[in-house]
Amino acid sequence: MPKIVVDPVTRIEGHLRIEAMVEGGKIVDAWSSGTMWRGIETIVKGRDPREVWLFVSRICGV
Amino acid sequence: MIVRRVKVEGKKSLYECLVKLGVSRRDFMKFCSSMCATLALSSSFVPHIAEAIEKKKKPYAVWLEFQSCTGDTESILRASKPSIAQIVLDIISLEYHETIMAGSGYSAEKALEDVVKNQKGKYIAIIEGSIPTKDGGIYCVIDGKTAVDRAKEVCGNAAFTINVGSCACWGGVASAKPNPTGAVGVSELISGIKYVNLPGCPTNVENVTATIVHYLTFGSLPVLDRENRPLFAHGKRVHDNCERRPHFDAGQFVRKWGDEGHRLGWCLYEMGCKGPMAYFNCPTVKWNEGTSYPIQAGHPCIACASNDNWDVYGPVYKRAPHVPGAGFQATADKIGLGVVAGTITAVAAHAFVRSLAGYKSKDKLAKEKTETDKA
Repeated sequence: MPKIVVDPVTRIEGHLRIEAMVEGGKIVDAWSSGTMWRGIETIVKGRDPREVWLFVSRICGV
Repeated sequence: MIVRRVKVEGKKSLYECLVKLGVSRRDFMKFCSSMCATLALSSSFVPHIAEAIEKKKKPYAVWLEFQSCTGDTESILRASKPSIAQIVLDIISLEYHETIMAGSGYSAEKALEDVVKNQKGKYIAIIEGSIPTKDGGIYCVIDGKTAVDRAKEVCGNAAFTINVGSCACWGGVASAKPNPTGAVGVSELISGIKYVNLPGCPTNVENVTATIVHYLTFGSLPVLDRENRPLFAHGKRVHDNCERRPHFDAGQFVRKWGDEGHRLGWCLYEMGCKGPMAYFNCPTVKWNEGTSYPIQAGHPCIACASNDNWDVYGPVYKRAPHVPGAGFQATADKIGLGVVAGTITAVAAHAFVRSLAGYKSKDKLAKEKTETDKA
């Protein structure tokens, strides 16, 4: 079964990978993966709650 | 779309492209003057800048994103002087940029490969975002390759690298404690490359453009400080050009959010402003077509363009720490008594920054200095 991989998916914020299985010209199965992680949820643990917005606002700058 | 246009017009000079886009000669000269001002050059350099942009071929560039929020891309897309939205994109032949390029997957990667192979040693690598080193680099993988491998290949073959934003310079927000992914900046990962750090969260487009214009005009990188930041952008403290500075000198401080002092635009030092320790041209260049910047909008400076600002310069809302021997904290409330006290405070702030910088080993500093001299 032929497999299509699109990585990187462009014109988006972040990093995305799409994999699709093709059978008889039709996509029969597909997967998407976000291929970047920074762990901001871990970084803000234990910090002053008043400044957490400065960290989490940097999850996406778009 | 951009990639297609660049391919058609790749051999033309920037000026020819701008004319085609309907930019007038007057706007072009305004742009050259504004670049001259940003670079802190005398106005006699305006013709040199104009000449370089008119005649030089556009350099090839690739823009790689790693652990980023795309904020630096957003900053670049808001280039406004002199209302040439495409200026940065047209000043260089941008062959690869995931957020704005038309191709994706195979065709995108092919464009990158072509530049790295065919323009070896000639193209500019622009890096946005930090690079995760933990667990074999699995926290950022593009087209099956880790950010570590991609950065090494692309930066290693470039004429020089521009690190845009604090993440690419030294890890930024992703490297804040406990740095779960082992995020580092480009210079920590790859040694022996020629690079410029343009930190800030995000970087300021005026400084990126000015750095490239400097390269086009003089064939070299601008003068850098020991953190590899251009002196024209990071030679002065935020505090030195802050419009709230007279209130600092007069001892007029905001004590509580929304109090009378806050409403009157008094100094934010007591609320945690790190302006006295931050070296950035933020107050003069500003953002959104020179409209405003954080302190002007009423928020303390977080020293976003300083190495490890989240943990070294934080917490954000805590007044800058006491500097032993100089009476920094003790004098802050009494500054209104006289200019002398203000001067001592400024000296203390400078000493504080120097002491912060002291964590680097002498060897590393010596190495950086050599690299700066070379650049």
